[in-house]
Amino acid sequence: MNNTAAPRLHGKRKGAGYHIQTVAAVLITLFMLFPLYWMIATSLKSAEEAQLIIPTLYPHGLHFENYLYVLTKANFLKYYWNTIVMTVGIMVLQVGTGTLAAYGFACGQFKGREVLFYIVLGALMIPLQVTFIPIYIMCANWNLTDTFLGLILPEAVSAYYIFMLRNTFMAIDQSYVDAGRIDGLGRLGIIRHVLVPMSKASIFTVTLVTFSNGWNAYFWPKIIARNEVRRVLTVGLAQLKNTFAGQAVANYHQIMAGAVLAIIPLVILFIVFQKYMMTGYSKAAMK
Amino acid sequence: MLIMANTELSVNKPTGKKTLMSSRTRSKFVDFLFVLPALALLAVFTYYPVAKLVQISLTDWNLLNPTWEFVGLKNWKWLFAGTGAKYLWNSLKVTFLYSLGEIFITMVGGIIFALIFKRLTSGFSAMRAIVFVPKYVAMSSAAMVFLVILNTDYGILNYLLSLIGIEKVNWLDGKSTALISVLFCTGWRVVGYGMMIYLSAMMGISSQYYEAASLDGANKTVQFFKITLPLLSPTTLFLLVTTFLSSMKVFQSIDIMTSGGPNRATEVFVYQIYQYAMVDFRMDRAATSAVMFFAILLIVTVGTMKYSNNVVTYDS
Repeated sequence: MNNTAAPRLHGKRKGAGYHIQTVAAVLITLFMLFPLYWMIATSLKSAEEAQLIIPTLYPHGLHFENYLYVLTKANFLKYYWNTIVMTVGIMVLQVGTGTLAAYGFACGQFKGREVLFYIVLGALMIPLQVTFIPIYIMCANWNLTDTFLGLILPEAVSAYYIFMLRNTFMAIDQSYVDAGRIDGLGRLGIIRHVLVPMSKASIFTVTLVTFSNGWNAYFWPKIIARNEVRRVLTVGLAQLKNTFAGQAVANYHQIMAGAVLAIIPLVILFIVFQKYMMTGYSKAAMK
Repeated sequence: MLIMANTELSVNKPTGKKTLMSSRTRSKFVDFLFVLPALALLAVFTYYPVAKLVQISLTDWNLLNPTWEFVGLKNWKWLFAGTGAKYLWNSLKVTFLYSLGEIFITMVGGIIFALIFKRLTSGFSAMRAIVFVPKYVAMSSAAMVFLVILNTDYGILNYLLSLIGIEKVNWLDGKSTALISVLFCTGWRVVGYGMMIYLSAMMGISSQYYEAASLDGANKTVQFFKITLPLLSPTTLFLLVTTFLSSMKVFQSIDIMTSGGPNRATEVFVYQIYQYAMVDFRMDRAATSAVMFFAILLIVTVGTMKYSNNVVTYDS
């Protein structure tokens, strides 16, 4: 890198540093891609091929029946359904409660607004990993174990979402809100026709983060849905290893098929909405 | 919802002075209704449980028994001076080591990756996406594929090592390598995130600094240490705090890859609390550990907030 002089030279002369950088970037990218490749490659191998002392670099023969096995015999179809319902439920509730609250904190006039907002922010410091014991007992008392409601309710509000959206709403010029009011819009009308359309990109980004958090959730679903009826993909995948405990090595080709199935929806989402999903986290960092 | 719309109208067109006051109070109340659902849920599922947790830590609540009673500070004695103490210090040590590893990978790895991948071409943009995508790969899937890669007998890592003459390593069963193995997996998932955070911060640094520095004859290395790194310090602090807080909560990778073993070498804090609660059914001990865990999180968060009020926010 030291070879390239700081003021960019026009023309095609590029120093050795430039090429070293390119090579390094390509190598690292391949390295980072490898676990994903290995997941897919192993998922298509036969049981014997997956346990060779000298691993084959690519599957000799494509064993798609691994996927069939995981989807039907290992109940992944059901886990898919559970994960989808849970994730969508969490997302809808977080967006719903979050958008209303963000409006209240950004535009509302009521006593204690600041204090209440700090109470919301305080929730950021209290993760489920701290509070799961009382919540579990509570949910058990309300017969919410192994139910969708039990999976969803403790995650129904996201302080992070409220915080992000309130900031976005506050950045919108008050005159737009006033204009909406003059046009006869009520509060809900202003949210729907003024604030939300003007913060679409923000809402979309935060919602994608919310969705991926829900989809990849593991800790709480493992605790509240211990039976198969409401088990989600992440937990089901971990279970796949445990069912064969003792001879765990024997079914890695099937486990990898499960692993691929569990990440397909999010990876597709990532490919389609790459722009939003890559800025999602850094936006949070810059705020 | 319709009622809200109606009240809104009456606010906009106050019909007389008498109703003005009441409609203004009513308007404030309607504003409050918007934040109420979120606040109510937070009260039930976040704040009430904290109070309940402290209460449980003062009881002898065992899920296997039908009743419980208050026992004072018995659990706290158990945690600090009884049999729990040994495991507490062990899990604290393991959690901090893990945390240190994740912070190191996020920050040092992130900044190195940012320097390598900063070129603004479409090819580099695609490579950045590939480096970042593990962040969205479910931890379960990531942990599983690393189990395959790190497998002692037929994992590809040991095979590659054997090619250069290194003996088989018992990655996940070795007391000294188990935590490192978990960090491989975590590192793979988080390093792209560190890169993106640093990259977007680097974009914000004015090119004037670099132009001035190169006029003064400073080479790229000097520029990096004298300009880039100092100007990135708010970003570094942000990453330090948020990564510390999120890494303290590590559970899933441990649960899947090592189950806290071998011989508690990877028994992190949350995993221990989980064991007390959901395996031993000792809610009292689990709650006591959880209160302790919360205290640590709180001290770190509040401490750094005071230290750097405007530099960073704590929202991840």
